[in-house]
Amino acid sequence: MSAITTARSSSSPDGLDWKQIRRYGAIGLVVLGALATVLTGFNLGWLVIGAWLGLLVWHPFHAILIFYSIISIYPVLRVISISLRPTSGLLSRSLDIIPPGATLDSYAQIFSEEAFLAWLWNTIVITVTVSIIGVIVAATGAYAFSRWRFPGRRPALIFLLTTQMIPAGMLLVPLYVIVAQLGLTNNISGLMLAYITTAVPFSIWILKGYYDTIPPDLEEAAMVDGCNRMESFWRIILPLSTPALSIVFLFNFLGAWAEFLVAKVILVSPDVWTWSLGLNDLIGTFNTDWGKYAAGSVIVTIPVLLLFTWQSKYLISGLTLGGVKG
Amino acid sequence: MAASSTALSPRSPFSLQRILRWGLYLTPVAIFLAIFLAVSSGEFSGLTSQGIIDTLLFVIPLIIILLAGALVVQFLLFQFLDKVVKTPHALPYTLLAPAVVALVLFMVYPLIFNVLLAFSDLRRETFPCYSSVLTRAPDLDCSVLYSPQYAVENFTKVFFRVRDGEIVRDENGNPEFGRLLRTRDSTFPILLARTIIWTLVNVFFHVTIGMALAMIMNQKIRFKGIYRSLIVIPWAIPGIIVYLTWKQEFHAQYGFVNNLIEAFGGQGISWLDDPFYSFVAIIFVNVWLGIPFYMVMLLGGLQSISMEYYEAAQMDGASALQRFRNITIPLLRPILIPAITLDVIWTFNKADLIVAMTNGGPSESTNILVTGLYNAAFGTAATLEFGFASAFSIIIFIILFLFAIIWITTSGGLKEIYDR
Repeated sequence: MSAITTARSSSSPDGLDWKQIRRYGAIGLVVLGALATVLTGFNLGWLVIGAWLGLLVWHPFHAILIFYSIISIYPVLRVISISLRPTSGLLSRSLDIIPPGATLDSYAQIFSEEAFLAWLWNTIVITVTVSIIGVIVAATGAYAFSRWRFPGRRPALIFLLTTQMIPAGMLLVPLYVIVAQLGLTNNISGLMLAYITTAVPFSIWILKGYYDTIPPDLEEAAMVDGCNRMESFWRIILPLSTPALSIVFLFNFLGAWAEFLVAKVILVSPDVWTWSLGLNDLIGTFNTDWGKYAAGSVIVTIPVLLLFTWQSKYLISGLTLGGVKG
Repeated sequence: MAASSTALSPRSPFSLQRILRWGLYLTPVAIFLAIFLAVSSGEFSGLTSQGIIDTLLFVIPLIIILLAGALVVQFLLFQFLDKVVKTPHALPYTLLAPAVVALVLFMVYPLIFNVLLAFSDLRRETFPCYSSVLTRAPDLDCSVLYSPQYAVENFTKVFFRVRDGEIVRDENGNPEFGRLLRTRDSTFPILLARTIIWTLVNVFFHVTIGMALAMIMNQKIRFKGIYRSLIVIPWAIPGIIVYLTWKQEFHAQYGFVNNLIEAFGGQGISWLDDPFYSFVAIIFVNVWLGIPFYMVMLLGGLQSISMEYYEAAQMDGASALQRFRNITIPLLRPILIPAITLDVIWTFNKADLIVAMTNGGPSESTNILVTGLYNAAFGTAATLEFGFASAFSIIIFIILFLFAIIWITTSGGLKEIYDR
């Protein structure tokens, strides 16, 4: 951090004005880029590179951050762009963001030609159920961990952390065998229960951390006024921890919304598929339906992205709270 | 002044916040109505309004029965603990009961069952023996279901090649390693080595790039909020979309990676058809995916370090490198160590990325241990030998567990968590 700070100071001991030199260097690089563009027959890529190198010399931090921002956002823009391509230009090799002749045909096709709406519906049913039940189970469990020192509390908390270490594959084989033994393949109820269970430990950690910050005096005051323990939990703790509860709800939601591996093993028949299995199938087929896939992924990403940006502050603090600081 | 005046002013019923909040509450209803209306118009394939009603009639009673049943059982349990056992902790135990039941049924029981499976001879052919629901063929021999003999076979098969109950040996008498999947290179040592490389490379780039970005973001620069929300975007996208999209973008002809290379006069690479380059591709995607997490974590940590330390060190003539090594790193340790611990575990277990992107291919060259397990049990090389797969998964778990214990005890990794 500070290494770069010293390098950025405007004049160095040897008397050279580095700020000025960097500015001229930057202009030079942009001109070089423009020259290369003209020489290669208006390949605008060289101009972009020249401009970026110029920025790197002039304002290195911004150059690096812009570069990284582009890396993280370009694939997203690409998907949107592909979803807008007309069928004839689907396999075009252009790098344009807005394709020539943009249409919404792919969006219509994925609903009319694929069972996308059915996939979405299955996912919504699973996700909503999992989130609601998961929050209820975790909210009460975390309250017990936060307010009582009962025998077995510490080992139980450590066990909850250890469950995060279990490989998915470790549970995949026995879960599949149990489900198959009971004849429950292609049934979403088994899948929902598995999702709830995998989300509970993390949710309990997040909620426990939040409850710990609420002073017990509030409940004691309520109990003096005649509430019993559960009433004070219902009237004091739950309303106060709405932010944490919504984080947990979101966390359960996001986890179940895009789960892939367990669903792939348990849901075999296409009419119970979730969207992740459906889109995977669209990509996996020999003749890739790229436009439909892109349209579908834009549709399923939008709600998640909205939820994430809307709650990102809480979500990130919640993740750091539960994941690292305990 | 300004604060008090806003606090006193009556809240408008149409404030932006209120509209947003109600919008959020109403969105699910709107989505449901939209789906229902769309379906009844009959232009969509795959879903009928009857289908929607059927799922609702299945799911809503399920939720109600689960919740009501849980309440009744909890009430009885509380009475039992309070009146019969007379423990002072009746209420917390009652509150924990649903979580405990769920964890025991779907986490602990499967894990124990997994160990039991390693002692079984569960294959596709013998599957009906182990199920009370499926019908058995008359000539199926179901006399011995679980025995230590099976366990020895299953665990041996993970490491060595077994033919007719004997370990196959080469000319020098050394045992041959067994194929976990189809090709000769899918042996245990190779998969383990690949897993270690995969984990180390990923975590290394996560930490270094995440640290560099966090340190830049910790400077006084403009547009910080915009950069931050752009950089965090990969984290917000559903994982499976990320994998499938990148799989497409690494396509030799139409993916933008090659198109970019060719636009600057380079030679395109057939990424996913080459063992080395496909490994590079999946590592790239996982690095891309993991950086936001580190950046956010480390930025939070850096912001909590007081500038006074740096100023004091600068006065004493410490160089930038010294300041980084003696101030930043030690003060970031409480965040860095748990983050690395979690990341190692996540990366080691990252099966879905590889399954979705390469499915272990080409010719099983990008399998790590967990995807090897997945492919051996269900995927490309599905032998459906679940006894063997369980033994394999137990070995993987032991490796991870040993790593975790060694790492945590040497680095004091999760100390803060346990101490609370």
